[in-house]
Amino acid sequence: MKIKRDFILREIAGDILLVPAGKTALDLNGMLTLNEVGAEIWKMLPEVESEEEIVQRLLQEYDAEPAQVREDVSEFMSQLRKLEIV
Amino acid sequence: MEPRLAKYLHTKGRQLGLPIGGTFELTPRCNFNCKMCYVHLTQEEQEKRGRELTTEEWLEIGKEAKDAGMVFLLLTGGEPTLRPDFPELFHKLKEMGLMVSINSNGLLLEGKLLELFRKDPPTRINISLYGTGNETYKRQCGVPAYDRVIRNIRALREAGIDVKVNMSVTPANSQDMQSVYETAKELQIHTQATPYMFPPVRLHPEMRGQNFRMDAEEAGRIQAQFDFSRCTREQFLLRIQALRDGVSPDAQSEEECGDVVGEGIHCRAGITTFWIDWDGKMLPCGQMAEPAVDVLQLGFAEAWKQTKANAAAIRLPPECVKCKIKDVCHACAAMCYCETGSFTGKPEYICQMKQSYINAMMQYWQTEYGGKL
Repeated sequence: MKIKRDFILREIAGDILLVPAGKTALDLNGMLTLNEVGAEIWKMLPEVESEEEIVQRLLQEYDAEPAQVREDVSEFMSQLRKLEIV
Repeated sequence: MEPRLAKYLHTKGRQLGLPIGGTFELTPRCNFNCKMCYVHLTQEEQEKRGRELTTEEWLEIGKEAKDAGMVFLLLTGGEPTLRPDFPELFHKLKEMGLMVSINSNGLLLEGKLLELFRKDPPTRINISLYGTGNETYKRQCGVPAYDRVIRNIRALREAGIDVKVNMSVTPANSQDMQSVYETAKELQIHTQATPYMFPPVRLHPEMRGQNFRMDAEEAGRIQAQFDFSRCTREQFLLRIQALRDGVSPDAQSEEECGDVVGEGIHCRAGITTFWIDWDGKMLPCGQMAEPAVDVLQLGFAEAWKQTKANAAAIRLPPECVKCKIKDVCHACAAMCYCETGSFTGKPEYICQMKQSYINAMMQYWQTEYGGKL
């Protein structure tokens, strides 16, 4: 999936921040924070084709309810779409 | 208001001793010549006193500071855009994943630099607006630059860039305070005006307690006048209530400094923020001439460690602890130092200015709003 805006991922004392880079700061003048799973999804975004692929990858790694993971991923992705990031 | 995330990071930084916010003072040179400035040197004076850091040195310090936890960076001067490498420094520092803001007088924020900001905007540009006419500019800054500065501010706003206006109010431009506020308001720009001018002790130690500025009584009245202009009745009432209750009316503001009363430094200087001056000395705050440590010699991490320890050792005037208006006052370590030459010296100018401010605020409340609490 294509990330449409430039961000730089940083970790500050356990917090994961997306700092706007390049032109991004014009439309989004602030940082975003991600939790651990959010950061993992963020890192896999350029390599995946669909939300379902994200779900499958997470299920390989975490012992979690597929329905729950699907719901969380969908929520996370809809936030990113709302900010026109993906 | 300061964003919640910034506040959170500073709170966390305070617990862990991280340098969350930094200022790089890129040069003491300036294309204006304001009488009250605490940093301005001509090129000749600058060369006599020391050497400006190179591009590579600033970038290396930036990288080390980022690795140590810096998120917010302010580029200032002098006039930072006078450096030919300013665009490169700005771009490369931002690319490190920093939220980079800029202090500028606005004169050179045009042409190629404006084009750069359109593609690669800073988090915010703080522009000092000294008046609303060329005549005032000539008196205040020595250059009739108003028309050009305001044109540049408009262009930045049209490009969608976040601008804040700061006005230093002095005897040379106080008559323009209201029009500066109104001009900025029309452009939907937040304005901060202050008549308090720190004595320029970094340049001239003998100038402690002195500057080209209003007397303390007048400075207090001017501050109240500005609050009266910018506040709605409700906002003004909140300030009056805060003053009556003996708490700071600025407790919720975005200002990074202030809130210093009693024993040690209570602001962020040397706790989560630092300042590196143009020749590479780290200070807790740019208004102080000491305690300074050499970043090039020590490296960033060690300089930060020493700055934290030095700031923690600073003690403030014992008189302030018992003062009735201590929580309204905001007298800080840098003010004590600049007014008296010592962190433990009672800054009389501040005492008089704050008392005058409180009196003037109460008077506005009575005469303009009928006065009942």
